[in-house]
Amino acid sequence: MSQMVLGIGDLGASNQPDAEIKTYALGSCIAVVLLDPQTRTVGMVHVALPESKINLIKAKEKPGYFADTGVPLLLQEMARHGCQPKGKGLIIKLAGGAAIMDHNDTFNIGKRNLLAIKKILWSYGLGPRSEDVGGTFSRTVSVSVKTGEVILSSPGRPNWKI
Amino acid sequence: MTTSNQHAEIARAIQAAPLLSPIANQLLQVTARADHEMKEIIDLVKCDSLLTARILRVVNSAAMGLVHQISSVDHAVSYLGERLVVGIAIAECTNEFFGKPLEGYEGESGQLWRHELFTAIASRAVARHARAPLPADLAFTAGLLHDIGKAILSEFLRGTSNELVADIAQGNTTDYLTGEQERVGLDHSEVGFELSQHWKLPESLRQVIRHHHHPDAAEITLRPLVYAVHLGDILAMMGGHGTGSDSMKYHLQQGYTDHFTISKDELALLLLECNEEFRKVESSLASIKET
Repeated sequence: MSQMVLGIGDLGASNQPDAEIKTYALGSCIAVVLLDPQTRTVGMVHVALPESKINLIKAKEKPGYFADTGVPLLLQEMARHGCQPKGKGLIIKLAGGAAIMDHNDTFNIGKRNLLAIKKILWSYGLGPRSEDVGGTFSRTVSVSVKTGEVILSSPGRPNWKI
Repeated sequence: MTTSNQHAEIARAIQAAPLLSPIANQLLQVTARADHEMKEIIDLVKCDSLLTARILRVVNSAAMGLVHQISSVDHAVSYLGERLVVGIAIAECTNEFFGKPLEGYEGESGQLWRHELFTAIASRAVARHARAPLPADLAFTAGLLHDIGKAILSEFLRGTSNELVADIAQGNTTDYLTGEQERVGLDHSEVGFELSQHWKLPESLRQVIRHHHHPDAAEITLRPLVYAVHLGDILAMMGGHGTGSDSMKYHLQQGYTDHFTISKDELALLLLECNEEFRKVESSLASIKET
């Protein structure tokens, strides 16, 4: 099995049946997972912040860091793997976006990430089929290209699927 | 095991914990003083050949990206800054202590050190947003040591994380700190405070370690420093650098707004900057382990 591990702001896609895409310990970050049943391609981006306007240099260097630049680039990457352009027919799943207890608006970056991701998805006429977001726990996400299963894990909890 | 027996066991574990090296301790004492000068740090470093070698290795590591090699201690210390010099001295003598897996928190090997390092970087960044001047490098050092209690308490929390996480999710326990107290009668901040006394750390660092989850309980003059680490700790968890099952299961103390002004955009930028610096510093400090 080949494993593609994504760090903060990384994105990747694969149609190799033995591949797994994984990202560790999402706190307020969100993993956007794209699955194409037609070409059996899987893609993921590890989004850290909602909007690229706060640092355009970083956005150019690592577009996956921000929701508004990461999601479009992941859609392009999926198209490069033979998927239909602009995400048509893709299954979308979201995970992450946790928050500290008693957070205020300033510290709820997870929620702002979620809203920014949905906003950019809506602009393509897309939306998530399932999501496991918010709460007060970190999440590790892995997706198998062969099965398309999105497995979540968190210390102190049994693994679960979305 | 009864709670009083566990207290005795924890006290024994604190006494048995490895001490900081004399040079690390001296650096902590000097840098905790408000009126210290860089020359005092350089003079201390020059007396320790092992630390000198480590500092030169870090400053000349690929991660620092220098075009020309630095060979003088004065230049190396000035370039790295006091926070990284203290960080190198602490990393050098606590490798085993911070590097071991946190089994009681289901944390992996090295996870505690990475959490401490991210918190240090974030606490220093937060200090720049203080309403009144705050020694940013002291916030870094305090962040680097704030969770030392977990290295001791972890062993006594083995096998508790599933139940503790479920208790918090169901609202039976208010946060992880309370959960620790319910299970072993002490929490990691209390155990850390005991260890900080054993290590003879400066009072400011002891207060941070003891009160980093409840900064309002700290002595009033030290509250801004304790709040800086409180927020740095939270930023580390938000950035995915927690210590395991307890990640995000602590309360944000709203009193931070009395001491800091941070907007939503500023917080996002802070997180971005901290992630960047963490990658660089972690990579450069890794060169210590290669020796």
